[in-house]
Amino acid sequence: MGASLPPKEANLFKLIVKSYETKQYKKGLKAADAILKKFPEHGETLSMKGLTLNCMDRKPEAYELVRRGLKNDLKSHVCWHVYGLLYRSDREYREAIKCYRNALRIDPDNIEILRDLSLLQAQMRDLPGFVETRQQLLTLKPNHRMNWIGFAVAHHLNSNGSKAIDILEAYEGTLEDDHPPENERCEHGEMLLYKISLLEECGFLDRALQELNKNESKIVDRLSYKEQQVSLLVKLNLLGEGEKIYRILLSMNPDNYRYCEGLQKCLGLYSDTGMYGSDVVDQLDTLYKSLQKQYTWSSAVKRIPLDFLKGEKFREATDNYIRPLLRKGVPSLFSDLCPLYGHPEKHYDKRGQYELALAKIVEAIQHTPTVIDLYLVKGRILKHAGDLAAAAELADEARSMDLADRYLNSECVKRMLQADQVGLAEKTAVLFTKDGDQHNNLHDMQCMWYELASGESYFRQGDLGRALKKFLAVEKHYADMTEDQFDFHSYCLRKMTLRAYVEMLKFQDRLHSHPYFHKAAAGAIRCYIKLYDSPPKSASEEDDEMSKLLPSQKKKMRQRQRKADARAKKEAEEKNEEESGGSGASKSGKRQPARPADLDPHGAKLLQVEDPLLEATKYLKLLQTNSAESLETHLLSFEINMRKQKILLAFQAVKQLLRLDPDSPDSHSCVIRFFHKVGTREAPVTDTEKLIWSVLEVERATLSQLHDKSLIEVNSSFLNKHKDSLMHRTAAAEMLHVLEPEKKLEAIKVIEDSTESLMSGKGTWGAVKGKLKNCVAVHKLLGHVLLDKDAASRWKTRCAEYFPYSTYFGGIYSSAISGSSDKKICDALENGSVIHQENGRLDALKELTI
Amino acid sequence: MVCIRQATIDDLLAMQACNLLCLPENYQMKYYFYHILSWPQLLYVAEDYGGRIVGYVLAKMEEETTECHGHITSLAVVRTHRKLGLATKLMTAAQNAMEHVFGAEYVSLHVRRSNRAAFNLYNETLGYKIHDIEAKYYADGEDAYDMRKQLRVKPPVHHHHHHHHGGGCCSGEAKGAEN
Repeated sequence: MGASLPPKEANLFKLIVKSYETKQYKKGLKAADAILKKFPEHGETLSMKGLTLNCMDRKPEAYELVRRGLKNDLKSHVCWHVYGLLYRSDREYREAIKCYRNALRIDPDNIEILRDLSLLQAQMRDLPGFVETRQQLLTLKPNHRMNWIGFAVAHHLNSNGSKAIDILEAYEGTLEDDHPPENERCEHGEMLLYKISLLEECGFLDRALQELNKNESKIVDRLSYKEQQVSLLVKLNLLGEGEKIYRILLSMNPDNYRYCEGLQKCLGLYSDTGMYGSDVVDQLDTLYKSLQKQYTWSSAVKRIPLDFLKGEKFREATDNYIRPLLRKGVPSLFSDLCPLYGHPEKHYDKRGQYELALAKIVEAIQHTPTVIDLYLVKGRILKHAGDLAAAAELADEARSMDLADRYLNSECVKRMLQADQVGLAEKTAVLFTKDGDQHNNLHDMQCMWYELASGESYFRQGDLGRALKKFLAVEKHYADMTEDQFDFHSYCLRKMTLRAYVEMLKFQDRLHSHPYFHKAAAGAIRCYIKLYDSPPKSASEEDDEMSKLLPSQKKKMRQRQRKADARAKKEAEEKNEEESGGSGASKSGKRQPARPADLDPHGAKLLQVEDPLLEATKYLKLLQTNSAESLETHLLSFEINMRKQKILLAFQAVKQLLRLDPDSPDSHSCVIRFFHKVGTREAPVTDTEKLIWSVLEVERATLSQLHDKSLIEVNSSFLNKHKDSLMHRTAAAEMLHVLEPEKKLEAIKVIEDSTESLMSGKGTWGAVKGKLKNCVAVHKLLGHVLLDKDAASRWKTRCAEYFPYSTYFGGIYSSAISGSSDKKICDALENGSVIHQENGRLDALKELTI
Repeated sequence: MVCIRQATIDDLLAMQACNLLCLPENYQMKYYFYHILSWPQLLYVAEDYGGRIVGYVLAKMEEETTECHGHITSLAVVRTHRKLGLATKLMTAAQNAMEHVFGAEYVSLHVRRSNRAAFNLYNETLGYKIHDIEAKYYADGEDAYDMRKQLRVKPPVHHHHHHHHGGGCCSGEAKGAEN
């Protein structure tokens, strides 16, 4: 390094490198400038100066210098290495790998570069490459523990577990007899547990058990030891031994359901369905009675028997279980007992039920107005009944009763967002993010439920810019999490937490299948589709509107615009200065570094994408890879590809929908819309078109739904098959309108004749909520798609009666019509609509915690 | 009713969500990764019948100091599941692992001065004592009690006596990944 320099400058060069490593960038910069004064074109110095500037947030200069340095000294591994580091800092891993490879061509045994390369290979899951690099590292430095471990892990990741075992055993062979020293016992134990888990994974169960027994004294983590042991014993069908270990595990933690389940399995008292014969029930009863005596503080051993006991014994056990919890007033008791009430005949008229529920709550609040949880429950009931504004109001009341409880704050913010009160929600949420820039704190701390709920609210309100901003923020969190793993590739090898490390890598590989990501991506795609369907006014159109104005008006408008721009810019700058000032960091120390103010707070720039469908496709690909089993993924794919005129891709989506759920109303609509569109196209002209045409001919014949039938017939047989379901009828009606627009009135009749009693008794509260949502969707279809105001208003009147608390339909008890919610409920009581007071109690109450 | 078990990597997102729902002190995912990849034995969750995470404890070992000890980074139980003794069970599990896997001598934690409920839990139920007061510890300017609980008696100085009491504190080098 710096070899071509005279001694004085060579020393300065060493100083640059050292300063870079110790993050003393100013010092390094000074040294670099001193060399460059004498040798202005010295490649490696230019490179290192660039790398230093990169850490001082001067990116463009950095790239310029590093590239110039490389150009001046293409044969220097330092220049290539630095170029790779620069790319790495910008997460351009593929480019970085290329640079490292070039550097290694010049200096093949450079340990530092090999190590850096191996990290990138792990990050990018270039597993064969990772194996190769780790092998080189081990060959070069076999006396380093980390190189043995790294080589083994590389093989494991590359699906060669038995090779990994061999390497670990070879490594053990290099150790002294008295290994490990006292301060390495944890690490060594972890290594052994990792090796044993590999043996298990490869199916060498006996060997694994032997290793475990042999190393008992060396494995510090007793819990992992026992869990590993019992797993092997059960797999080897040594159930008697297994029982013993499960009993030990239960003595360590009697609240772990998995241990109870495991113990039952070892005793031959377990079934996947949870259904047991009476003799088994007796044995289980005895087992759990003895466990209850042994572990009086365990709630698991008291709760589990409720799942299998019947009759008098059930009644007794339930009573014993519930009584103390009721006395303490545990709010979650009912959700805990919920699974026990799976029988529809126990349910009453829904309408009576939730009015009863509300009545009970009002009564309870009147009795003890200080129990905050009652307000939460009442808010939840109202939300489900369709009065979002009243629900938000109640949650706010609950919140105000204990301002220090963030849970109450979160619940309130959630309700406000559901009621589309985004501004109020934000003001409320930031009460708990007091330091620094308040709103960004929610973003920095990756508060995804909040970002998703607020994105959804903006979307409902048609503010696509802000909605997109929120959805993309969540997407960014996932990109950051992928990035987060980088530091751990080396950290875990040192720390020896190998089992956790491998689990983490697997977790990362399925990270984007997480529901939050799915919601964010689907939300963003919907925004882009909407943006495509109704693009914002372009600049020329705006000019057009401007041209209609008088010249003086135009001038005024432009001036106003300029002033507003300048003001925004100034505010942003001031904010920047404030933040970089870094006001008194707290001792907890997790403060974020200063960050430039948000220059696009409303997401206006996000709306200026050239090709919204192209953007949408990016996120669609992630959904297709990671959420292929979700209907929504393929519905979105259908919508995008129909718009892009990608006929075969749209057809792929149709096929996926039919695979997942051929009876879903959405699948049906897509099938009809697709073949209707294909059928009304011009005859094919080009070869490609002809090819597509013939593919579809063949494919259509394979779809059982369409076999030998016209689309009209397909639609009416779908209607017949599902005539009792509102949403199926609605889909059929909409498709009838698509296929035969002149039959609009008939289509409306199909909807209005729905016999599905909207509020009919059987089902759960969740179902009521779903029904309300469906009815809203039907109303929108009547008004906006079928464009029949009268039908829409008839529907509204009908639903207002079914959903008296719904603000959307203007139900009589909703806050949209009357005032205080308590009054409404009292009215309901007086009207005598509350029934089944006695028998209904448990059923009604159990629903409260949905 | 609620299962108490060691957390896995798949629980981390739910733990973060639970933390954001309940507490004012929040952390990025990387900090959760850091914990589970350093001391996988010290993270526990409370999981309800439907598989939802309704509480967690996030803990670590302090390895920089000479006295080997554990530290509770964060503990939360959602409001609907309070009064079930979940916090006690979670804390006990983490403390046991600190003592038996890492040979911790004591465990420390910080609690807001105004948080009486939490203070009482630590003090009365779990046996923590006030060790110190850290002025303006929290970002909003509130003081923290620095509380400690002794886990085991200090091992005798002479070396012959020790039966295996766990591994001793895992060695240093644990920097770099903490944010």
